[in-house]
Amino acid sequence: MSRFKNIVTALLALSVSIGVLSGTARAQEKTDEKKKPASSFKADQLRFFEKDVKPILVARCFKCHGAEKKIKGGLRLTFRSAVLKGGDSGPAVDVKKPADSLFLEAINFESLEMPPAGKLPAKEIAILTRWVKEGLPWTPGDKPLVNPAEAGGSPEVNDETRSFWSYRPMKRPVVPAVKQKGWVQNPIDAFVLEKLENAGLTPSAAADRVVLLRRAYYDLLGLPPTPEEVQTFLDDDSPDAYEKLIDRLLESPHYGEKWGRHWLDLVRYAETNSYERDGPKPHVWRYRDWVIRSLNADKPYDQFLREQLAGDELENPTPESLIATGFYRLGIWDDEPADPELALYDDLDDILLVTGQVMLGMRINCARCHEHKLDPIPQADYYRLLSFFGGLTRFGVRGGDSIAQRSLRSIRTPQQEEFRKRAIVENDQQKKTIAAKMAAIEKLIQGDLSPEEKQTFRDARKRIDLLKKRVKKLVSQQQVDEYAALRKRRDELNRFRPPNGDMALCVTEIGSKPRQMHRLVRGSPQAKAEKVQPGFPSIFGIADPQIPAAAAGAKTAGRRRVLADWIASKDNPRTARVMANRLWQFHFGRGIVRSSNDFGLQGTEPTHPELLDWLATEFTSRGWRMKAMHKLIMLSNTYRMSSRADSRSLAKDPENDLFWRFNMRRLTAEEVRDSVLAVNGSLNSKEMFGPSIYTIIPAEVLAGQSQPGSGWGKSSPEERARRSVYIHVKRSLMVPVLESFDAADTDGTCPVRFSTTQPTQALGMLNGDFLNREATVFAELLKKQAADNQGAQVILALRRALQREPTKKETTRGLKFIDDAKKRFGASDDDALKYFCLLVLNLNEFLYLD
Amino acid sequence: MSETRPNNRSRNNFCGRTRREFLWQTGGGFTGVAMAGLMGNDGFLASQAVAADGVTPFENPLAPKDPHFVPKAKNVIFLFMYGGPSHIDTFDYKPRMKGMDGKTVEVKTFGRGGRRNNGRIVETPWKFNQYGQCGQWVSDLFPNLATCVDDIAFLHSMTADSPIHGSAMLMMNSGRILSGSPCLGSWLNYGLGSENEDLPGFVVMLDPRGGPISGAKNWSSGYMPADFQATVMRSQGEPILNLQRPNGLTEGMQRHLLDTLRDYNKDHQQPRADNSNLAARIASYELAFKMQTAAPEATDLSSETEATQELYGLGEKRSEPFGRQCLLARRLVERGVRFVQIYSGGNHNDANWDAHGDLKHNHDMHAGETDKPIAGLIKDLKQRGMLKDTLIVWGGEFGRQPTAEYARGTGRDHNSFGFTMWMAGGGIKGGVSVGKTDELGSTAVEDRMHVKRLHATILHQMGMDPDRLSYFYGGLDQKLVGVEGAEPIRQII
Repeated sequence: MSRFKNIVTALLALSVSIGVLSGTARAQEKTDEKKKPASSFKADQLRFFEKDVKPILVARCFKCHGAEKKIKGGLRLTFRSAVLKGGDSGPAVDVKKPADSLFLEAINFESLEMPPAGKLPAKEIAILTRWVKEGLPWTPGDKPLVNPAEAGGSPEVNDETRSFWSYRPMKRPVVPAVKQKGWVQNPIDAFVLEKLENAGLTPSAAADRVVLLRRAYYDLLGLPPTPEEVQTFLDDDSPDAYEKLIDRLLESPHYGEKWGRHWLDLVRYAETNSYERDGPKPHVWRYRDWVIRSLNADKPYDQFLREQLAGDELENPTPESLIATGFYRLGIWDDEPADPELALYDDLDDILLVTGQVMLGMRINCARCHEHKLDPIPQADYYRLLSFFGGLTRFGVRGGDSIAQRSLRSIRTPQQEEFRKRAIVENDQQKKTIAAKMAAIEKLIQGDLSPEEKQTFRDARKRIDLLKKRVKKLVSQQQVDEYAALRKRRDELNRFRPPNGDMALCVTEIGSKPRQMHRLVRGSPQAKAEKVQPGFPSIFGIADPQIPAAAAGAKTAGRRRVLADWIASKDNPRTARVMANRLWQFHFGRGIVRSSNDFGLQGTEPTHPELLDWLATEFTSRGWRMKAMHKLIMLSNTYRMSSRADSRSLAKDPENDLFWRFNMRRLTAEEVRDSVLAVNGSLNSKEMFGPSIYTIIPAEVLAGQSQPGSGWGKSSPEERARRSVYIHVKRSLMVPVLESFDAADTDGTCPVRFSTTQPTQALGMLNGDFLNREATVFAELLKKQAADNQGAQVILALRRALQREPTKKETTRGLKFIDDAKKRFGASDDDALKYFCLLVLNLNEFLYLD
Repeated sequence: MSETRPNNRSRNNFCGRTRREFLWQTGGGFTGVAMAGLMGNDGFLASQAVAADGVTPFENPLAPKDPHFVPKAKNVIFLFMYGGPSHIDTFDYKPRMKGMDGKTVEVKTFGRGGRRNNGRIVETPWKFNQYGQCGQWVSDLFPNLATCVDDIAFLHSMTADSPIHGSAMLMMNSGRILSGSPCLGSWLNYGLGSENEDLPGFVVMLDPRGGPISGAKNWSSGYMPADFQATVMRSQGEPILNLQRPNGLTEGMQRHLLDTLRDYNKDHQQPRADNSNLAARIASYELAFKMQTAAPEATDLSSETEATQELYGLGEKRSEPFGRQCLLARRLVERGVRFVQIYSGGNHNDANWDAHGDLKHNHDMHAGETDKPIAGLIKDLKQRGMLKDTLIVWGGEFGRQPTAEYARGTGRDHNSFGFTMWMAGGGIKGGVSVGKTDELGSTAVEDRMHVKRLHATILHQMGMDPDRLSYFYGGLDQKLVGVEGAEPIRQII
């Protein structure tokens, strides 16, 4: 149809609908509709509509033709009769002559051009054409399709939303009865088995002992067992050998390094600020150490949270609890924001986002600009919660002193403080005494100075020359020597700095009176709406808290403590559930709720809700102790299952929703690097804590910095061999091997790591400096430990990397590889062995856990 | 293997995520077979390639994907003039400023020196002339580029949210002034995949004097998986990090190593056949092996004719480095690389376009280095019939002020209230100008276009609906153009 004809049609349609016979026209539509009732379509046509057509309509057309209010061209495509009726240009589809329909012209860009953004792919045009030609099959009843953009609006706080599982108080569920009682090691198994039995599935067999050993080591320590540790475990045939292993591992100081890293991911731990300068956060490493130490000490989780949220507002703040408040200082910081007030709110938002998602599994942050679209969180709730942080200072103003003033606090003990004061006083006194003695000697010659010498005398450094000139005249050699000694001592005293090291990166507030917070329209600080007071999300139905009046001279408003008390409470319906779910996730590879930062209406449903509540209540009743939970989980048969698939279960439950087997996993970035070092014997695991270390970053990577190498130091070889958790985390310069294996992005909370497979990983593992250097070290170790016996070297290499005895076939293959390398490719003995080491470190089995 | 997939196909029940994305982000990444099954449903397996050994299937997360609609452009070359080139000294002609040099005028500015209400005019030291059929004004800084104006659409009224390098760079590259979001190249690779699996889909080339401020944040994939971050490529020496075999390791020896590695891995895989990640990792080694040949081939400029080399300014000391990069960019898009970004300027101060001190010295240097190469690129693409498929974007993170920054000298401070960028090729109308700044060029006054509009235009030309290209993260369908969306600049498409 030509454009002209189309316009004529449109005009005709228009005149009909507005002019002469509008009533008749509508009646006509109704008859049309009746002629072909929607229910008369065949099942496959309806399926075609639902599956193929509807998504296109929703995605392509509803922005303009699905709205409730703003509708373009008068055309609505949300129900069948509306399509037939059409819009300003006339009926969109003529069922009698479908091929001539305006709708088809429009999508083929023949008359109208729809969608205006660009022509649809041929596949979609074909689907819509078929749909029109089949007479617009539509779901029976002709109910309007819902436009997701406008659907429902925001969920309200009401009885229905309040009764959503994760807003309800926890209830201790009854442990279910199961048929296969013998499999139940503890209640965890009963909850899992019940669902398996209901689905007609059986749990997989127990994992092989070595597999279990390796699994347990990596899960708790992030390190492989040494060959000796493997042997010890295998030699122990007592029935509680496995339990003793778990106890041993939980006592290891490396436990905190592994599980601390999980927490550091969640709170987006980094040691610099990002942006142009990406400057370092002073003393931030103490927070990392605090996390590791807290976990090693099995600090109750409620206390762990309380210290981070309000360590400075607790009854008796300790240096440790002050360090914990470094939690507030971990995020990105723009030191020269274009809009300083907006930057303050961006910072506060970042803190509330992390607090909400990490501690409560709540995406409160979505309500910053408007009512939460997916959860029952009114916008005012966001600002009421934000008010708890209403007194926070920004990290700094521009740099240097401003950071020290706003974010650093002394964590000296009273004794240290006393010592420091005394040292300063003593230093001053000594300097005074010395100055007096020197002045006394200078006085001897002062009367003797020529005018020119008087000029020279003004320079204190040159006075000694004037003295020397007058030896044996006005002063003795002894006095000159004494003067020189005094001067040296004075220089030393001037260089002296009293011990000042014990500083911590902390939260501070603007004073005991916080800012008056308002609800901000569309999140803009320029558009302040009504005032708000601190309060909890209304969905929980708790009265607004009374904030105790700040004591005289208080440096903070005391609000965060109130927030901490609510979050770190066993009555909070979220806190224990969220953490129990994380414990599960880090053992099994996925949470019972897969969206572990989102327990809201749009989060994923728990696959085992009763188990989750059982674990959460168990957690609080065991005093929020994580180690007890690890042991409980790891002693279950659910944890001890093999990861092997059986085809029947695989067919029934391919996603392993029901936990019929254990999930395989790839090592994390840190585990990859640490394992390479552990396997070649160079890992420096003894040294823990302290300022971060710097690994070698290739010049090609440093070249990406505006000043190549800036902000990246040099550590000794021993330091470089430390665990990855101690490597400096510079936001704009990630360590290649860690980045390549999906270390957490540092700018946002990371609840689940990616696990990508990319050719660049392979390139790094084959050609990269790090791997090649470590392969050489590995080869040296083999030569030392297995002398000149090539067979023994091959066995040892595989044993160290895979923590099991290699098969004969594997050993032979390795030997042949080395032999061929030498004979066919002319490699030296050393190189051939090194290449074999490189190969071993590239094995899938080295990188994947069963 | 990454399970994230763009939201090109049907939206379903997972907050707009595809099922695979959804599973991925919720920690389902371990169950390889489940993935394989699900992927089979939406045709993912059909897009599999086969690795170099000819048997192992490789599931490439960057496999080509359908655009939302028929695209105008297939590739993008983004020429990033880092530091902020002055619009009124390059393409935004201000005849009214003539004779005003040294005069103090009232004008609101905001740069690194803060907000000011007046300043001393610095008249442009370059002459402007009209070029082409369109009569576009271009200063003497770009004698070569001036001959291409009929292929270019100038955007004279760009605005950005920040006049500070760090945040403004992030804005130009990732659409937000806060760090942590994926860059334009990541979005395109996420949405469209790459046409050549032997080469990275998102390539960045840096100025020999150093990277831009904030370094890798400017080509990071932010909250997306690492598959979508840029690979830094060099036009000389080892083109990609870790591409070169270590000293002494011959190709034959490496092949021997890979063959034996595969034998071990196959044995390991056999009882774990349901885990497709293992197969993907085996295949990734073959792909890496192929990249070792493909990348040096792509970066080997010696196969280009002398005429071509001369067109890009190779052989002239000043323009050679940028010329090599432009020529390499053409070779990369020719081979299907989706997004190439080249930085003119690096490091700090006058090593980039940040002309705070001596405007003439600074811009003469940087324009001199880039003029011929850029003109060469446009002409070369055109003569090869590639310009219609290749979208070229030129600009910095902001422009510069009409007034002097200091009491003395010609240096100009940053200006995000109004500046010029241009686009060419890839379905963009040539010889047009959109938008205006005021008579001093201090602020955009007509057809003001936020950086998001530029992003929307790029996505649109690439066949993506900017309001629909979304990635589920942090409880939201995140978009390059933000939750409020942005319209492409219709006047130039």
